[in-house]
Amino acid sequence: MAGAPHQNPTMGGTGKPAPPTHPLVRRVTIAVTVLFLSVFIVVPVVNVFSQALSKGFDAYASVFYAASPPEGAKLSPAERRKLSSDRSQAEKTWSSIRLTMGIAAVVVPLNIVFGLAAAWSVTKFRFKGRSLLITLIDLPFSVSPVIAGLIFVLLLGRSGVFGPWASNLTWPDPFSLHWRGFAQEWWPFAFTQSFTGIIFTPLAIALASIFVTFPFVARSLIPLMDSQGSDEEVAALSLGASGWRTFRTVTLPNVKWALLYGVILCTARVFGEFGAVSVVSGHTDANDTMPLRIEKLWNEYNNQAAFTVASLLALLAVVTLVVQVLVERKTGKAAMTEVEGVDMP
Amino acid sequence: MSIEIIGVSKTFNRFKALSNVNFKVETGELVSLLGPSGCGKTTLLRVIAGMEAADPGSGPILFDGHDVTCQEVGKRRIGFVFQSYALFKHMSVFENVAFGLRAKPWRQRPREAEIRAKVGELLQLVQLQNFAQRYPSQLSGGQRQRVALARALAVEPSVLLLDEPFGALDATVRRELRRWLRKLHSKIHVTTILVTHDQEEALEVSDRVAVMNEGRIEQFASPETIYDNPANPFVFKFLGSYNLFHGRKPNGSTAVAASPSSANGVTFVRPHDVEIRRENTDGSGIAAKISHIAFAGSSVNVELARIDDQAVVDAALSMHAYKDLGLKPDDKVFIRLRNTRSFDDDYVI
Amino acid sequence: MTGNAVTEDRSPPRPPAGKLFSSPSRPSRLIPGLPLTLGYTLFYLSALVLIPLAGMVFKTTQLSWSEFWQTITDPIVMASFKLTFTASAIAAAVNGIFGLIVAWVLVREPFPGRRFFDALIDLPFALPTAVAGLTFSSLFLANGWIGGLGRHLADLVNWLAGLAGVGEIVSADALSWLSFPYSNTNTGIVLVLIFVGLPFVVRTVQPVLREWDTENEHAALSLGANSWTIFRRVIFPEIFPAWLSGVALAFARAIGEYGSVIFIAGNIPGKSQIAPLQIVIKLDDFRTAQATAIGIVLLFFSLLLLLGINGIEWWTRRREHRVA
Repeated sequence: MAGAPHQNPTMGGTGKPAPPTHPLVRRVTIAVTVLFLSVFIVVPVVNVFSQALSKGFDAYASVFYAASPPEGAKLSPAERRKLSSDRSQAEKTWSSIRLTMGIAAVVVPLNIVFGLAAAWSVTKFRFKGRSLLITLIDLPFSVSPVIAGLIFVLLLGRSGVFGPWASNLTWPDPFSLHWRGFAQEWWPFAFTQSFTGIIFTPLAIALASIFVTFPFVARSLIPLMDSQGSDEEVAALSLGASGWRTFRTVTLPNVKWALLYGVILCTARVFGEFGAVSVVSGHTDANDTMPLRIEKLWNEYNNQAAFTVASLLALLAVVTLVVQVLVERKTGKAAMTEVEGVDMP
Repeated sequence: MSIEIIGVSKTFNRFKALSNVNFKVETGELVSLLGPSGCGKTTLLRVIAGMEAADPGSGPILFDGHDVTCQEVGKRRIGFVFQSYALFKHMSVFENVAFGLRAKPWRQRPREAEIRAKVGELLQLVQLQNFAQRYPSQLSGGQRQRVALARALAVEPSVLLLDEPFGALDATVRRELRRWLRKLHSKIHVTTILVTHDQEEALEVSDRVAVMNEGRIEQFASPETIYDNPANPFVFKFLGSYNLFHGRKPNGSTAVAASPSSANGVTFVRPHDVEIRRENTDGSGIAAKISHIAFAGSSVNVELARIDDQAVVDAALSMHAYKDLGLKPDDKVFIRLRNTRSFDDDYVI
Repeated sequence: MTGNAVTEDRSPPRPPAGKLFSSPSRPSRLIPGLPLTLGYTLFYLSALVLIPLAGMVFKTTQLSWSEFWQTITDPIVMASFKLTFTASAIAAAVNGIFGLIVAWVLVREPFPGRRFFDALIDLPFALPTAVAGLTFSSLFLANGWIGGLGRHLADLVNWLAGLAGVGEIVSADALSWLSFPYSNTNTGIVLVLIFVGLPFVVRTVQPVLREWDTENEHAALSLGANSWTIFRRVIFPEIFPAWLSGVALAFARAIGEYGSVIFIAGNIPGKSQIAPLQIVIKLDDFRTAQATAIGIVLLFFSLLLLLGINGIEWWTRRREHRVA
């Protein structure tokens, strides 16, 4: 996932101009590139937003919020049915957005901690099996998302390896935590809801999402931390700083842009994961994340609504790209200023 | 603080970087570790700093007589200056210098005003008082070097360790900084060990020089002794250009060095100790033909070929001597060798 | 006793096996935190990757051979494997050709908007697969932008003609050869797999092209080679390993792809169902053993490809090492 080149494009690695290409070849290859990328990337993305807004902004908004009729309006039974169905559709969409954000709120912080720990251990130390560890970190990239879901079903499902234990496990819904005061017990918080089992609950969705997305933070940090070496950390330690202080005040500021990019990419992937989540969700409305909601709306021939939800995810993808370009510009500039200044002691 | 190292070895993957090194630096001394790349000088410095652990079973490292072998880097009260400077890129010069003070445990941490005063003082010392708010990327190489030094001095180290401190700078800046470091050392008088591969730098700056090769210290003595009395061929070779003669008596008839005669020996002569004469007045000269003359600023390098065996000899003449002799290529002349050094041949370099 | 005078330059002896010892910027003991970070990394990886994968392998060992064989030789499953591998291979090949051209143009041929298109390459990584499937599906529907391109063009021409007062000049079907109604077809599957695998070839070839020393081309030119020969004999061999691993990555990604494909495919059993969909169907029917059997076959091919890609990288490194 390398980024935009910072060099003059006609220059090779040595900075010398390449021999010019034949003008006809040049034009044809540029035309092929523009056409290919337009058809396969630009048009599909534009199509998402255009379809989402095809029935106007009100229709776009109504996917999230079904407007009430004017006060005292007389509604036919058909209209009333349509209104209540719109309401329930909007409520389902909202519930999918809430669930997706909740999953991301759990998964992304875990993956940040993992990414930092993995990058630190892999780049600051040399040990046996280090390259095997790096390969393992990359493994989810080469496993089909459906298989990612399948392995959790095989592990935790009713007939799974840990099935008997997992399907009787009762765990509280962390998002149902509320303040109940000190009236009943000394502990003022309580959960109002709990789940039984793991597969076909949000916990399984979170597990599958972690499996599919944990490499992203680590992957965006490892190359940068590798190239920066450990000199600054050693300098900080030799000045008496503790390991934690060194990490916090020296390492973290040096990698903050790459970390930001990794976090945003990870978030985008958690929001957009489909295959793995689909397998472990059990296809109930309550377990629908945004991509699953899109599938349901599409299957109900509610194209505009499907595209409206999709447009949110597409927007997140576009933001990811923008951040990527900004981060590359930022770290590229940092690398540029590393070039020796004029000597003038 | 004095530093003593007794029988320290260090092995990386079967490669012996240090083999049984013994070494003592007195309090307030400025010592250079000099040697070719890969000779173990940086490893030795890092072992002293505690950044590298010596092999298990090798001897202790004593600071003022106390064993610090098992102490962490941060506890050894050392100031380390890296070859790459390793300045914190995202901190201003001020924050870089203040880092060590701010990193102290809460009880020992000076108050903000004290930190400011201390950093200001140090920046004055390294002549960068107007650069406090700049970032490392806005400084020249020489300035970065001095920031690194100020940062190391901020924690009031009892030892200053410099790893090729001027390695990345150009020749003029190097020379200036070298002189400045000498002056600074006479002002603050902290025990200092400097690693370098530049013999000129080592000889000019240090009180004593340790010449290292293949993980051993070949000679540890004052710069004069090292230059005038090299302990072995390696030290002789490393300290400048030289002519090498196989056999103890390079000119056949005249004894050059009155050492026990042995046919299997080597004799070294520096080019500026090769004297060129037009006449063979006392019969002790070796006949040679000038093959090439090259001007090198203040001196002239003359390449000669001996008449008897065509072996090449280099001589360095002052401009005056060269003009007086009026040498031209293909002239036949006689050479005499001064200050030769002979070593037994079985010495393996 | 003649002295044999040799004049040598003062050349410092080289360190023996200089690359063997760790570089000084990477001390192993000095930096704290190895037990904590490595421990946490290994714990996380074991809990989330190794134990679940081991669980799957364990489940597979409980299958009897005949059950396994019966599952994967079932005509519908066989058809799904065939479709998955064929469509993935075609998509990887298309990406191989076009990805090479795109990478070349983005590195070597400046044109207005080059940076924009360069940034876009990563979009398939960031865009959720469901969104990709949704938008491709609608684009290639009979009345979609590309599926109905011919008719849309005809409408546009007639509208413009109407403005000019000429009246209808093309019939609605005259341009139908420009329509690509590929939704619910296997061609649609290939199209969406091209999208999904698009970044891999471009992003693996680009850095190699950027590092490429153009002096070699001048040298070849001066020896009288023409551009095509230079590309074929001088440049392509250099980028071949990167290109091959890019194609393999695109192929691997396409084999596992699920979300985008099920939106555009017809999903008719035996005709247009991909292998991952077969797993989902079997799971929905609670035929876990059969799902496991199909899954293990897919996983086997994924790991085989991963091994191949690592092999290519190892081979490249060794080649570079040998040259250096």
